[in-house]
Amino acid sequence: MRVLPLYVVLGGWLSMPALAADAGAWMDRLATAEQKQSYAGTFVYERNGSFSSHAVWQRVEGGRVQERLLQLDGPPAEVVRVDGQVQCATDELAAQFREAQAWHGQRLDPKALSEWYEFRVIGDSRVAGRSAVALAVTARDQHRYGFELHLDRDTGLPLKSLMLNEKGQLLERFQFTRFTADPVDEQLLKPSAVCKDIAVVARDATPDSAWHSDWLPPGFELLDANERPSPASPETVAWLSYGDGLAKFSVFLEPLRGALVEDARSQMGPTVAVSKRISTADGDVMVTVVGEIPLGTAERVALSMRYGAEQAQE
Amino acid sequence: MSREALHESLSAVMDNEADELELRRMLAGDNPELRATWSRYQLARAAMHKELIEPRLDIAAAVSAALADEAAPAQPRRSGWKGLGRLAVAASVTVAVLAGVRLYNQNEVAGPQLAQQAAQPSISVPQASQGSTVLAGYSEGQAEVPAQTAADSAPIERWHEERLPSYVRQHAQQAAFGSGSESALPYARAASMEER
Repeated sequence: MRVLPLYVVLGGWLSMPALAADAGAWMDRLATAEQKQSYAGTFVYERNGSFSSHAVWQRVEGGRVQERLLQLDGPPAEVVRVDGQVQCATDELAAQFREAQAWHGQRLDPKALSEWYEFRVIGDSRVAGRSAVALAVTARDQHRYGFELHLDRDTGLPLKSLMLNEKGQLLERFQFTRFTADPVDEQLLKPSAVCKDIAVVARDATPDSAWHSDWLPPGFELLDANERPSPASPETVAWLSYGDGLAKFSVFLEPLRGALVEDARSQMGPTVAVSKRISTADGDVMVTVVGEIPLGTAERVALSMRYGAEQAQE
Repeated sequence: MSREALHESLSAVMDNEADELELRRMLAGDNPELRATWSRYQLARAAMHKELIEPRLDIAAAVSAALADEAAPAQPRRSGWKGLGRLAVAASVTVAVLAGVRLYNQNEVAGPQLAQQAAQPSISVPQASQGSTVLAGYSEGQAEVPAQTAADSAPIERWHEERLPSYVRQHAQQAAFGSGSESALPYARAASMEER
């Protein structure tokens, strides 16, 4: 273990490519560790206007991954998952669940990600009393945010993640305050009484929608799509979800039926929400883009949504 | 103001004897020399307080920028300026300094200094609850949230208010639970959206 820090230091001296390769190796470790390693701990989450603490237990046995998350302050939000599928959740978190993608579907794929993000080892750090390596995950274009990731040297798991905007300002902090990689007792994975069983909505193998986007930031693909009743009217809202493997955003489209509504935008820490009115042959539609992407990117996506075979009408 | 007078004001600011108006007047001017002096004073004070400060950070410039931004909304409402305006200026000065501290903290030093500096925001929190201008300043300028308040355009804004929470929740849930296993981060994001 003593050799690693030295390697990092030497790597910094000798060449940048070596450093990048080292970062890639760490990302590979992270990708496999999340499915193999049992661990338990508590972490804090902070974004503009919100601070909360949570406990997490993950137990891996015979290839089966059980995971329990519990908010420790405020309402006891709780989720239990087995192999990525939600088993139970508290009311607040559980309005409706879509079936999770196949277990091997959307894993962290460092190789694919490296096309949109640059990984670099930036130094040693210490988180939750454990020795960690700090990686800079820098966006290669202006359409996504960068991260600073601190990975546990023993397990490769993320002990700390900072999301940064293009100016280097902190948008959110995820940080363990206590972490153990010891085997986890099965009792600790048992959901509490407030955790209610979830009916999972099945999903199509290939997402499909009458809507599509004329423009997407490079690397983003359609992950899911469906239609739901509007939370505030009898209309049906089309919903599309996109991701680049790390960042995600959702697009909601609700017919206005002549209603006078202005455009709007707001930001909650890393999450931006942009609403834009667009015209279709069927009348005006309000497009709302919600996600962890820069404001400008969200606006451009909103203005690029088209219904059916309609083309850009500039 | 003469150079002497400026530097005198600067000392007063450092000794917390000057009010925000004075600080505002001093840093609003385009005077790199004065800013440099202020940065040096800051550094000296930090050293005295055994705080760690990143010397490369031009905190004076950040504060100055914050003040410049503040000037616009404060002007037209002469009456409210005395109360809210002053608080707003004070809050955004704190934020500008904090932003510098945060930037520095990303290099990650030992815990005690971190805790010591992190104590600062608590001073401005009570102020933050006093008005939307202050809140916007407090959020590091990212929350250029619609300036229209509920009173301005109630029926139109309602449309968004009725939908946005549900949209945000649906997005957070999909991000957290819709794609097989991932880290606990998207879950924490989803949980944070539930807080009021």
